[in-house]
Amino acid sequence: MTAAAPEHERAIEDSTYVVELDGITKRFPGVVANKDIGFAVRRGTVHAIVGENGAGKSTLMKILYGVQRPDEGTIKVGGTVVDLHSPSDAIGYGIGMVFQHFMLADNLTVLENVVLGAEDLHGIGGTARDRILEISRDYSLDVDPDVLVADLGVGARQRVEILKVLYRGAKIIILDEPTAVLVPQEVDELFDNLRELKSEGLTVLFISHKLDEVLRVADAITVIRRGTTVDTVSPQGITARQLAELMVGSELPTPQTEESTVTDQVILRVEDLVLKGPSRNVLDGVSFAIHAGEVLGIAGVEGNGQAELVEVIMGMRDQDTGQIFVDDTEVSKWHTRQIREAGIGYIPEDRHRHGLLLEAPLWENRILGHQTQEPNVKGGLINAKAARQDTERIVEEYDVRTPGIDVTAGSLSGGNQQKLIVGREMSHHPRVLVAAHPTRGVDVGAQAGIWDLMRAARREGMGVLLISADLEELIGLSDTIRVILRGRLSEAFDPDTVTAEDLGAAMTGADSSVTHPPAGPPHTPESPEGSAT
Amino acid sequence: MRQTMKYASVFAVAALALTACGSDSADSTDTGTADGTETSTAEEASDVRVGMAYDVGGRGDQSFNDAAAAGLDQAAAEFGIETQEATATDGEPESAREERLQQLIDAGYTSIVAVGFAYAPSIAVVAPQNPDVHFALIDSTDYEGENVANLVFAEEEGSFLVGAAAALKTRTDNVGFIGGVQTPLIEKFEAGYIAGAQEINPDIEIQRTYLTQPPDFSGFGDPAKGKTAAEGMYQSGADVIYHAAGGSGGGVFTAASEANTMAIGVDSDQAKTAAPEVQDVIITSMIKKVDVAVYEFLKAEVEGNFQAGPQVFDLAGGGVDYSTTGGKVDDIKDQLDELKQQIIDGEITVPSTPES
Amino acid sequence: MSRLEPRKILLPLVAPVVAVIVAFIVTSLVLLAVGDPVLEVWQVIFQPPLPRQTVNIINAATVFYLSAVAVAIGFKMNLFNIGVDGQYRVASFAAAVFAGQAWLPGVLNILVAILVAMVFGGLWAGIAGWLKVKRGVSEVISTIMLNAIATAVVAWLLSKARDPASEGTNVVRTRELPESSRLEGLAIVPGATNTVYTLIFLAALVGVTYWFVLNKTRFGFDLRATGKSETAAVASGVDVKKMTLTAMILSGAAAGLVGMPLLFGQDFSYGTTFQAGLGFAGIAIALLGRNHPVGIAFAALLWAFLDGQSNALQIQANVSKELVFIIQGVILFAVVIAYELVRRAEARMEQNRVARQLEERHAATAEQGVSA
Repeated sequence: MTAAAPEHERAIEDSTYVVELDGITKRFPGVVANKDIGFAVRRGTVHAIVGENGAGKSTLMKILYGVQRPDEGTIKVGGTVVDLHSPSDAIGYGIGMVFQHFMLADNLTVLENVVLGAEDLHGIGGTARDRILEISRDYSLDVDPDVLVADLGVGARQRVEILKVLYRGAKIIILDEPTAVLVPQEVDELFDNLRELKSEGLTVLFISHKLDEVLRVADAITVIRRGTTVDTVSPQGITARQLAELMVGSELPTPQTEESTVTDQVILRVEDLVLKGPSRNVLDGVSFAIHAGEVLGIAGVEGNGQAELVEVIMGMRDQDTGQIFVDDTEVSKWHTRQIREAGIGYIPEDRHRHGLLLEAPLWENRILGHQTQEPNVKGGLINAKAARQDTERIVEEYDVRTPGIDVTAGSLSGGNQQKLIVGREMSHHPRVLVAAHPTRGVDVGAQAGIWDLMRAARREGMGVLLISADLEELIGLSDTIRVILRGRLSEAFDPDTVTAEDLGAAMTGADSSVTHPPAGPPHTPESPEGSAT
Repeated sequence: MRQTMKYASVFAVAALALTACGSDSADSTDTGTADGTETSTAEEASDVRVGMAYDVGGRGDQSFNDAAAAGLDQAAAEFGIETQEATATDGEPESAREERLQQLIDAGYTSIVAVGFAYAPSIAVVAPQNPDVHFALIDSTDYEGENVANLVFAEEEGSFLVGAAAALKTRTDNVGFIGGVQTPLIEKFEAGYIAGAQEINPDIEIQRTYLTQPPDFSGFGDPAKGKTAAEGMYQSGADVIYHAAGGSGGGVFTAASEANTMAIGVDSDQAKTAAPEVQDVIITSMIKKVDVAVYEFLKAEVEGNFQAGPQVFDLAGGGVDYSTTGGKVDDIKDQLDELKQQIIDGEITVPSTPES
Repeated sequence: MSRLEPRKILLPLVAPVVAVIVAFIVTSLVLLAVGDPVLEVWQVIFQPPLPRQTVNIINAATVFYLSAVAVAIGFKMNLFNIGVDGQYRVASFAAAVFAGQAWLPGVLNILVAILVAMVFGGLWAGIAGWLKVKRGVSEVISTIMLNAIATAVVAWLLSKARDPASEGTNVVRTRELPESSRLEGLAIVPGATNTVYTLIFLAALVGVTYWFVLNKTRFGFDLRATGKSETAAVASGVDVKKMTLTAMILSGAAAGLVGMPLLFGQDFSYGTTFQAGLGFAGIAIALLGRNHPVGIAFAALLWAFLDGQSNALQIQANVSKELVFIIQGVILFAVVIAYELVRRAEARMEQNRVARQLEERHAATAEQGVSA
């Protein structure tokens, strides 16, 4: 363990560990989420916890926040062993948590949201407002207590969440994947805030799997793999690649662009799709064409119409106007089953909700979505024998790690579930693959495998509609990238030349093509501070 | 699916619990008094062994079954006969009724009293198979046999008298009749009541309704339905209502109490047996002496005088009557007794089916 | 659904066996608490049934079975059809009226009347299905209401369709079936004077069909998928609305069959003595039998057996017949809890097994230095 950055002498002088974890173990059915986790956090630092999805970071933080109790191990706060039964216990010890999904009431003001549930502290009136303004000023959070949360952008909401935690007297703030919902500019702002917090003597526990961000902001980094601590390192002596290798325990695969395989044959064409929403159009004149051998990447901050676009194409939702063509056949009004039979494969965004029957065995999940197709059925009957055989094949070919095909889908890890889905879809040789966040929540190994599969499919002339929030994935796989913002598609970007900053700008509307400013104040990208802490 | 199954489990368990509770209250006295083969010490013990098969509700229903039980208790005390009781369950299959009778017989009870017309089909099966056993079937002549006594009542005659009482007592010349379920049995009550009221005042307005139609028998056990029906009649100008609706009658009394009007009870002297706070509204009751019928049957059994076929318990034999508890009809008692005598003498013939 | 592994067969059996044992203990405690003779009660309950009682139990179970399968069809789709009760009454009435007319001869009359019952049961349930699909009305609410409406409608129609021959008696019923359309039953229990319903074959056929359609057909797969995850079913191309309506109608059609053994094997008409409340028993039995065609059969037999103890308990043990409800209630309660515990235990065991095997494999690959 190396010393933290030298800018907070006081914190170093105190040199006390504000949080110490020792031997934390937590078991869930089928998985040991945490196993003998131990590390210590110094006061006045940003301490990052990194690990791939599913490594056990979130469980660990829930334990620290009193949401879950460890089966074994001790937690010390300020040198004393504590027993956290509930979040209120945690807050009592000065531990606050900002969840990935904000817990704010849209139709209440910032003030109301902050005091909600903490009315005892400073009342709900002037005193509370003064306190909020004071916190906002002290930590440069730039929060106006009297605006409606509904009117705030994502970044501002996050600051409200942080303020909420501070208002309750937290000295140790846990941020769970805080950058997942932010565009690059907002990430920079957040990091400024974090530095502010730490300069005031607060401690930040920062959970992430985005390594460059971690390197930029953290004073110490604890790496978790497979539920246990691998090491705690200083950002100075390590590169992102080394960190990643600690995380995955193997070499980091990267997506790489290959030679173009795009042909001139259009296989999926969407024209002027409009889907009306309660206040504005959720899809507002979306048009694109995907050629055989082409991967069209759609980037965008979540909630800008991606999910709806996929559902409209898959026939799960009816558009208000506009047409969809597969080859030259109009399928606009077709039912999901017909669309699937027409050769559109589907990797859903939420595999638990849309991709799998968690309580059903793997081989039944292999049938799902292809109930009318070979080898699953013969006439109106399920051909269990053939389906089982084919499941065995998928498990083999797509490296689904499972002891057998009779186990339930729910007992597999996320990555293996996803590989099963990909294998299932690929087995029917789709003309077009609609892949929404295909590697989300998937470990790095599985991610590489899925990327390889998509490249292979593309070579064979498949068209892919790739919706992703992972810019690296988009840039690495796509032949063309377009950004969706408020239901509208931007012009095409060339993945060979586009930068994350370009896309970020388009995603927030800072780009010239969109008139509305993003909800948060537009922010000029700062020079990356990367390694400088 | 799991969620649905969980709700369903709660539902199913609750339904069972409710069933159990529902019949529990009615049967609370069951285990106590029916505690078996108690042999009374009175006089010399008879070798008559009596099996009682009650209808749903059983002993403790404060109505029909209770009246039968009273007759049994009286006979048991007097003749020292051995008794055994069993009660029907709501929604049981037909075979369960047959089984009940047969099990009583198998246990050595040779005089079987089946309380209620619902036993008619079962007796039709069991009686021919057990020719040595004597059966009493209350309230039904649907099956008659060599070893079956049909104990039936001239409900229309008693109803005639309370109909007359209603016509004499009303100040609005508007009276009501509420039947529990529209079966021929209850129509006898209706027919007599109408005839009695019209005997006093041919122009009297009579409102009539039935709470339910067969096969829905909830009209005999739903006070809320009774109350709603009675409220409607009181609002339409009636000030006396006669109910022949079993347990639903409680609702009729409540409505009368709230509207400060009058009501007429049925089967037993309800000015004594109804809830104390509504006893005051009951001016009289049409008493159907099921206890007397059961007692008489058992007495005949002890004496070896079993008589098959229908035995009608009428005004003349004291099988039906009107009650005077509370003194509300003391002023018209002479008129009622005169009518009663006329019926006994055959000067008035009471119809047993209402003109439609 | 899955390969025959001893573990997979034994585990589901644990729950009902435990439940019955728990019910035995709890009931004994209840008996002790109220001072009833515990030993005598169990002696009465466990005495071997007489032949005629055996027949009664089989017959009652036959009817329960049909009712429970009707409920289970809904359960498989995540639909809670409380309306089996109303559906079978409407259907039985319709079939009784039809068959009573004797338009068709003998067996043909029976077969067509059974179809009539299925159609009416299906239509009556279809109302609830249609309301759910078109208006989003919960089937729980609508089927409860349809039960009440069925009661009133059947009562009203029965007064119109009453057999003149039953005038003057206290039995209100439809015209009786012609002799040629009555099923005498099967004298398969030696020593019994009564007979087993011929339509026990109908129940068996329904059970086999239920199993086959659900597990072997594409339609059944779609239905089960919808029950397990509606969202996944939609994404897989199942038209959930159509499926909901279809499942509801099928459940109702099966419900329509509930009254058939009674109609053709015992009552020969629909009327005041026709057995009521079978739909509710079906819910309990479907739960107890875990929606499995064989499980339901055992559950129906158990239920019928317990129901049949009501008389013996009163007459031979001098115990209140409500004891039967207590036993049934405790069994149901215990079995639901036990199933949930077993389900969790199974899930945990399986996940552990998967994790363990993968860990081993991972260790092996790590040794070989092969990366994922």
